Amino acid sequence: MSGIANIRTIARREVTVRVRTRSYRLGTALLAIGVIAMAMLPVIITKIGGVSSSKVAVVAPEATVAARAQATITTLLNPTSSGSGATPSAPDFVISIATDLATAREDVVEGRLSGVLGIEREADGSLAFTFYSNDAASGRTSSLLRQGANAIAIADRLDRLAIPAADQATLFQPATYAVAWPDPARTDPVKDGAAAVGQDLLGFAMTILIFMIIVMYGNWVAMSVAEEKSSRVMEVVLNAATPFQLLAGKVFGVGSAALIQYGVVVVAGVGALVAMPIVGAKVLGSSAAAMSLPEGLTPGLLLLFGIYGILGFLLYATLYAAAGSLVSRQEDVQSAVMPMTLISMVGYIVGVYATTGLLDARSTWMAVLVQIPFLSPFMMLGRVAGGLAQPWEVALSLVLLAAAIGGAIWVAARIYAVGVLLYGQRPGYRAVWKLLREGM
Amino acid sequence: MALVIEGLRKRFGSVQALDGVSFAVQPGEVYGFLGANGAGKTTTMRIVLGLMRADEGTVTWDGRPAHDWPRKTWGYMPEERGLYAKMPVLEQLVHFAALYGIPRAAASKDATEWLERFRIGDKAGARLETLSKGNQQKVQYIATILHGPDVLLMDEPFVGLDPVNVAMLKAAFLEMRDRGKTLVFSTHQLDQAEELCDSVAIIDRGRLVTAGTTREVRQSTGHQVIRVATAGDDHAWLRAMTGVEILRDGADFAEVRVAAGASPQLILAAAMANGPVLRFEVADPSLEQVFVERVGALADDERTLAVAGARA
Repeated sequence: MSGIANIRTIARREVTVRVRTRSYRLGTALLAIGVIAMAMLPVIITKIGGVSSSKVAVVAPEATVAARAQATITTLLNPTSSGSGATPSAPDFVISIATDLATAREDVVEGRLSGVLGIEREADGSLAFTFYSNDAASGRTSSLLRQGANAIAIADRLDRLAIPAADQATLFQPATYAVAWPDPARTDPVKDGAAAVGQDLLGFAMTILIFMIIVMYGNWVAMSVAEEKSSRVMEVVLNAATPFQLLAGKVFGVGSAALIQYGVVVVAGVGALVAMPIVGAKVLGSSAAAMSLPEGLTPGLLLLFGIYGILGFLLYATLYAAAGSLVSRQEDVQSAVMPMTLISMVGYIVGVYATTGLLDARSTWMAVLVQIPFLSPFMMLGRVAGGLAQPWEVALSLVLLAAAIGGAIWVAARIYAVGVLLYGQRPGYRAVWKLLREGM
Repeated sequence: MALVIEGLRKRFGSVQALDGVSFAVQPGEVYGFLGANGAGKTTTMRIVLGLMRADEGTVTWDGRPAHDWPRKTWGYMPEERGLYAKMPVLEQLVHFAALYGIPRAAASKDATEWLERFRIGDKAGARLETLSKGNQQKVQYIATILHGPDVLLMDEPFVGLDPVNVAMLKAAFLEMRDRGKTLVFSTHQLDQAEELCDSVAIIDRGRLVTAGTTREVRQSTGHQVIRVATAGDDHAWLRAMTGVEILRDGADFAEVRVAAGASPQLILAAAMANGPVLRFEVADPSLEQVFVERVGALADDERTLAVAGARA
């Protein structure tokens, strides 16, 4: 009856007071700016890094060699992304044909060209290549050009052996080549390199975000509890409300303030992502079309992210509140919440290692660890993003997480009921255990 | 219908904070709860309010256990100020009232009236921490009574108040009594208890020393005191008398206790012989006198600190 009303009243105060503080507003603004900057990162990087195409000139003794070199190098240096039909955007490299090597080299020195590929025919009739560039000799461009040079040289030799062009095409046809899973039972398609990296990054980013949500907002709860206790408001509030109502009101209040902050950040981020192609088109011209959302960011994954974020927060926040109730001064909060901070660190580190491949995410013990309620919020998303989690694994971990929240509330309410009126020294772990068994 | 406290015991570790405390507060009474720091006053109040559980003993109001009554039956003013420092005054008063189920609009109206009455109406929108200590205490009092509790428990409400604010708070107390509320407050300022209280209880180291109406308690020593003053008096004549114990040797008047069998008339005669008598009164001892006789002087720090330190 009045229990719900009291929880709401306490939560309402928590939200209004917190949202009013300068630190909250500043923090929200900074987070929003950060997210927008991150969303715009591809545009910014492209703008700074590779706006103009690199220009490379070819100087060859014969027009046919020059034309062949131009065609071969253009396709080799400007790979179309595999599979997709690739709308031709601004190419990375523009290859031109120059006639005078000395002038072309001068152009490279002056910065009008990024390199010149000089081709000469040697005494024995074979072609010799020299790349004049300020870039490193072993750079990507240089090694691609070396491949190109080989192809051109071979074609030239075939010409000189009088092999017809049609036969040459057959000779150069690529072989059939496939990559498959070592495990014969696996039938899911093999990921291509870029997509796998994208999913790793996605799992990595979500793990970091969940960790930040839990630690940052959990600390808010603990600080808020300790503040009420140190100012003795607690006694006045407890005359009107039960410790459980106070605990629940705090967790929901801080949770709502967190959700508002998070909502602002998400809206800013999504807005920025939606606006990015438009901004990109303005800033970069046609090349913006190549940019898109990270692969694998499905609505289902986003939903799971929200669920694990909220449940993880509830689990940790109730325990943070209990820890906050055990100290009399705000300075002592950090040491009181240490156990939770350590556990969340473990979950975070294991989760990150699993998504980045430092730990074998496919091993059995990882499948077990991911079910532990204190760890699953940090670990499951990476597993889902990497396509490793079975639906039943997700369902089981959510059930376990919900059960753990129930247990945490029971433990926290008991500690809280006694802790809030306990002034003076901080009780040790043994005293806390005694409180749990005996109540007050 | 009364607030009955029966056989409360509470132990904190090795310290017996309450050792069988019993007394009854009649409805509509102003009840003084007297004792040194650490005597067990705060612990008793917290148990009455259900903030803490007693090891033994019961608390009933009107025959039913105290915790069966709705929370809004009780108003509590803790000894240290319990308010949100950074929250505006009116907003937090409304918040506290809302916790007792009082509609916000009504609470806001009532609170504003009380603030006006305490002459801090202009502070309604100010953050609490910007108010003086005395004004904060008034806000705390309003927070205690805003939900219309039947029983008010106040822990040292007069500490740190200047005389003007003490007078204002006393008037507010008496108004609550006139509205039929029951008031219990703890204090170690015995003159205030004597002025305000219908009944008092004296508690010392967790034990009840005496309880009853203020008059009964003052008569509980079984003897009377004489207050006497003569013009240009240094009380030398009084000290010269035998069978007379001087309890108070003030510049304005002296308070003496006469040995059993000695007659007050002898003192009156001696006073008249000394000069014009300005004051002569045979009366019950003051509460302070009773307290000193039954418990010992209040400033006896060594004895109280041992308990206070473990009060937790």
